[in-house]
Amino acid sequence: MKKETHIHAAERFLNNKKNAVWHDETLWQTRAKRDRQAALIPEWEQLRELASKIKMHTITHLDHYLEQFAAAAEKNGATVHWAKDAAEHNAIVLQILQQHQATQLVKSKSMLTEECHLNPFLIEKGVDVVESDLGERILQLMDIPPSHIVMPAIHIQREAVGKLFEEKLNTEKGNADPTYLTRAMRKSLRQKFLASTVAMTGANFGIAETGDVVVCTNEGNADMGTSIAKVHIVSMGIEKVIPSHDALSVFVRLLARSATGQPSTSYTSHYQKPQKEGELHIILVDNGRSSILADKDHIQTLKCIRCGACMNTCPVYRRSGGYSYSYFIPGPIGINLGMLKAPKNYYTNLSACTLCFSCNSVCPVQVDLGNQIYKWRQGLDSIGKANRTKKVMSDGMRMMFKQSGIYHAALKAAPLINLMPRALIYCKADKWGIGRELPQFAKQSFNSWWKKEVLKK
Amino acid sequence: MSNKEEILKNIRLHTQETYEMPLITLDAIHYPDKVEQFIQVSKSVGGNAVVLREGEDLNELIRSLYPDAGKSASNVPGIHAAINPDDVRTSQELNGIDLGIVQGVFGVAENGGVWVVQNVKERSLYFISEYLVILIDKDQIVDNMHEAYKKAAFNDYGFGCFISGPSKTADIEQALVVGAHGPKGLTVILR
Repeated sequence: MKKETHIHAAERFLNNKKNAVWHDETLWQTRAKRDRQAALIPEWEQLRELASKIKMHTITHLDHYLEQFAAAAEKNGATVHWAKDAAEHNAIVLQILQQHQATQLVKSKSMLTEECHLNPFLIEKGVDVVESDLGERILQLMDIPPSHIVMPAIHIQREAVGKLFEEKLNTEKGNADPTYLTRAMRKSLRQKFLASTVAMTGANFGIAETGDVVVCTNEGNADMGTSIAKVHIVSMGIEKVIPSHDALSVFVRLLARSATGQPSTSYTSHYQKPQKEGELHIILVDNGRSSILADKDHIQTLKCIRCGACMNTCPVYRRSGGYSYSYFIPGPIGINLGMLKAPKNYYTNLSACTLCFSCNSVCPVQVDLGNQIYKWRQGLDSIGKANRTKKVMSDGMRMMFKQSGIYHAALKAAPLINLMPRALIYCKADKWGIGRELPQFAKQSFNSWWKKEVLKK
Repeated sequence: MSNKEEILKNIRLHTQETYEMPLITLDAIHYPDKVEQFIQVSKSVGGNAVVLREGEDLNELIRSLYPDAGKSASNVPGIHAAINPDDVRTSQELNGIDLGIVQGVFGVAENGGVWVVQNVKERSLYFISEYLVILIDKDQIVDNMHEAYKKAAFNDYGFGCFISGPSKTADIEQALVVGAHGPKGLTVILR
């Protein structure tokens, strides 16, 4: 658990100015690409509305759709496992690996396995876990976590990757060309793919009617893994189920356009049956999700399709980076998911929001991200985490605004602040003075001007 | 109580207000020239799409598109290829194929996707080939994904995939690199 607050971590991120500017601009470009794609679809806003409604319907009939999905998947020959929490999920994966005497597991990107801390668990049991998404593999070799849910290594510069590959893959010294480095990893991971007997993926969607699991990738790593290994393990959050392919058509039109500004991911793969003489295991993971259903203020987080658009647009995320948040999912959605997981551990992330609501406007499933952050802030006092200075100040303000005598006296006295020495106004105790300039107070208040100039005439 | 029952019980316990399923009826995008739109999008996603002209020989077209391809693999009738992928014993044997030539079912104009259902013994062919050619009929292009999912069906293999352009990544500094793990190039031939 990181004890550092968002503010301090952000400060550290901003110390590397060049990197920080690059990060901000690059993510904004992704947001701009998203806008261009959205503008090409006249019915875009209708799609967002539909996607939101389909998700609200599905998550409030989750028992029905999960049973339907599991029955359909089993009929297709898949084995469906149910995991209440991360520990159960990890134990199921290990058991499947042991049944097949597999010592290597090739994985494609999955935020759920990150949530469950699957990799360290398996590595401790002696399994060679191989992340196969390029960004994830870079991070795995660096032994650091992702800083974005779709572009996990967005905070890493090419020179750092070049240096890493020199050491791990014997690439040319000083060569940091992205194509060269990508090809080097292609070659290295191809051998891992060829040697794997078990492959693992996450799931973007599970289709209740037909029992297939849908995985979207650009690299083709999920397919490379699962088309070679005969055993495929899918790790799927219970909120990923949707009713039908008809419903899916709405989500796939939104997902890639919102995430990276592409009309589609290169691969939208549907795994319906195990390979011939193979096995398909689907692990349905709750890990706290079913409890969120009762929380009407935050139930909409369950609509999230993990596109990352809220991060790309967030003025705070872009300028502070994924590591400034203490929860493993950063940005607006991560602030909310962290609070749902353990408010006392993650409440400091709440300050990473200007309430500009840009996240609400781009979210393809209309999650009320900004509203939720506002509500969490309102509830901080109830978990004993309200800022004491702010509390004293708001108590003082409440008193002032309630009693007109005090209010008018303060109003009259306000221009005196103009005469106060700068050192006093911008003293250390005044955090609001950092990077902000106090405007000059007018000589008289609007109230007294109105009385004098308008009412008297 | 089994895990499944416990999870479902917890869901039922916590579910409060319920919401109706909306009708998925919307006037989705249509293109005046679906073939042209499909070709344009295919190019924009790093792929390619060409129309087989009348009288043109399909095998010659493929050879002209990939003149350097060494080992090719295909089980499509009439296609000249070094290897029939249905003859391999394992998926690993397909490693090293320069050019895979496969049959797709239909294309989607809005995103350049082609619905491919497994119709070879080892589906790794679609991903492990250095370059991939997908054949579809040029009258088999739908406007959008809503139409696509009404049409998409599985066969006995139980695997289907919308493939839109070659494999790619931008994980290093958002610089686009074509050919991450899968094909480094992809051409859809409309005939």
